[in-house]
Amino acid sequence: MRKQAVYVLALAGLISCGDADMSPDNPYAFEHPDNFPDPVYTFENNEITREGFELGRSLFYDPILSIDNSISCANCHQQVVAFSDPVHRFSRGVNDKAGFRNAPAIQNMAFQGDFFWDGGVKHLDFVPINAITSEVEMGETLAHVVGKLQNSEVYREKFTKAFGTSGIDSQQVLHALSQFMNMMISSNSRYDKYVRNEGETLTAIELEGLSLFEKKCASCHTTDLFTDGSFRNNGLDATFEKDRGRERITELSEDRGKFKVPSLRNVELTSPYMHDGRFETLEQVLNHYATQVKDSETLDPSLKTEVVPGISMTDDEKIKIIEFLKTLTDREFIKDSRFSRPRK
Amino acid sequence: MKSLYSLLIAIALISFSACSEDDANSNEGTLALEFDNIVGTSNLELNTANTPYTNSNGEAYKVTWLTYYVSNVKLKREDGTIYEDEVKADGSAGYYLIDESDAESQQVVLKNVPKGNYTEITFTIGVDASQVDEGAQTGPLDPAKGLFWSWNSGYIFMAIEGVSPASTETDEAFQYHVGGYKEDVSNVNLVNNMKTITLNFGDVAPVKPEHQPEVHLVFDVNKLLNGTGESVTFATNASRHSPKACEDLAGNITAAFEVDHVHAN
Repeated sequence: MRKQAVYVLALAGLISCGDADMSPDNPYAFEHPDNFPDPVYTFENNEITREGFELGRSLFYDPILSIDNSISCANCHQQVVAFSDPVHRFSRGVNDKAGFRNAPAIQNMAFQGDFFWDGGVKHLDFVPINAITSEVEMGETLAHVVGKLQNSEVYREKFTKAFGTSGIDSQQVLHALSQFMNMMISSNSRYDKYVRNEGETLTAIELEGLSLFEKKCASCHTTDLFTDGSFRNNGLDATFEKDRGRERITELSEDRGKFKVPSLRNVELTSPYMHDGRFETLEQVLNHYATQVKDSETLDPSLKTEVVPGISMTDDEKIKIIEFLKTLTDREFIKDSRFSRPRK
Repeated sequence: MKSLYSLLIAIALISFSACSEDDANSNEGTLALEFDNIVGTSNLELNTANTPYTNSNGEAYKVTWLTYYVSNVKLKREDGTIYEDEVKADGSAGYYLIDESDAESQQVVLKNVPKGNYTEITFTIGVDASQVDEGAQTGPLDPAKGLFWSWNSGYIFMAIEGVSPASTETDEAFQYHVGGYKEDVSNVNLVNNMKTITLNFGDVAPVKPEHQPEVHLVFDVNKLLNGTGESVTFATNASRHSPKACEDLAGNITAAFEVDHVHAN
């Protein structure tokens, strides 16, 4: 009798293990927040699985992606600040080299079709290639990284478990990283819970800030992604010899000085601000829009609606807008252990 | 008695299975394409000690790298029917990376070709937009092959590099990386440089079971550098990396391919 009970238990154990992916509380299921637009990532080519996600997570935190084993993705993209750089205006890569643009946050990537400040990369799968092959970031080549992974028994096993084949190629590396990044959804800020009627209330000041935000900021920072994904010149400079922005990609002069409108989610955490991190505080950002916008041929039309270029706001209004922006901080996202450094 | 009965059954089974194999094979065969890279009347040799080749503007040069993507291969039979080589969206079929430094890559064997006499081939030099829009690809389209230009336009589908004393670039190098898969009326810098080429064999390649005809195609570097599209001068422009910059050069690609001969085998 006892023997039979053991067999039944064992069988039950096997069955429950096998169907883990289908349970409603599956931590590896991509959940589309109700207040977000549809994702654009090509999931049909790369579905998220537990093994693929965990492999991507291992790679994200592993400096093996860099030429001298010193720099991992997590060096410049740290969870505590929504996967932006908590310290540097320009992140430090191998040999302490620095780039010329501020590391953006990694969040809600499945909903984006243009990556980097100038939209040079159009699919999430290809984003890591830039960091891996940049001389000032990881200084590697894709082929060499694949070789290093193939030499590791631990990784060979992980790749086989994730993709079912015996070899490792760069498609698998990039797919694993995409699976990890696609799961990084930030949609549980106080604002989200308020807007989805999940029992959160905003203070009077925060609500006034929201109203002001909708009037003054939401033409570009729109939808609950807080960006329309477009490229605009927001008047940071009058000339752009140092960094031509989007023009570098399209080679069209009408794109000079245009940069991607960033999402404002977690903006309280992702200082410094703008493509070159020139503003340390949100106060400085709003001061820029209020009185420091510089005109040029490509200045965005939305900044030319008033007598003087920019968006006029009183000091009191600035305070309220900033209070509202702080409600976009998602403390669940930055503490979510699924995205933390894996324990060996 | 039992063993004889078993033997009879075994024989019957074997002959039946042999029959079915024949049925599958008798309607199909294979055809091999050989991509031979030449320079005028000479075979192309990479990394020669000196600069043995001369372009139409009298500039001496040598070649250090030549590679291109061939895809969407179609074969036309005498009766007009067309066989299309299977292309898979993830790059695992239908894309071939011809690399002069890799002799094996220069032969492409097409399988499951319906039998018959083939007289014409059509193929594309290029990698189209879908391969970028669908994310990371595998096989010949693996970004680790070094032909993926993640920053901007996607795949370089033909690359040639070499050295010429006429070039003013570092180390007298010339580099032409031909990419560009989409046109956009709002951006003149985006051009579609992909070329679809149709060549008549001038002969017949008979596909049938247990025979593999070979079609030898040649790609003439001199014709890439000099044609109706343009006549390249290393002295004035030895480095071209954007689709727009390669537009004229790409205009020479079609005429640079020819059928040299066919082995019926």
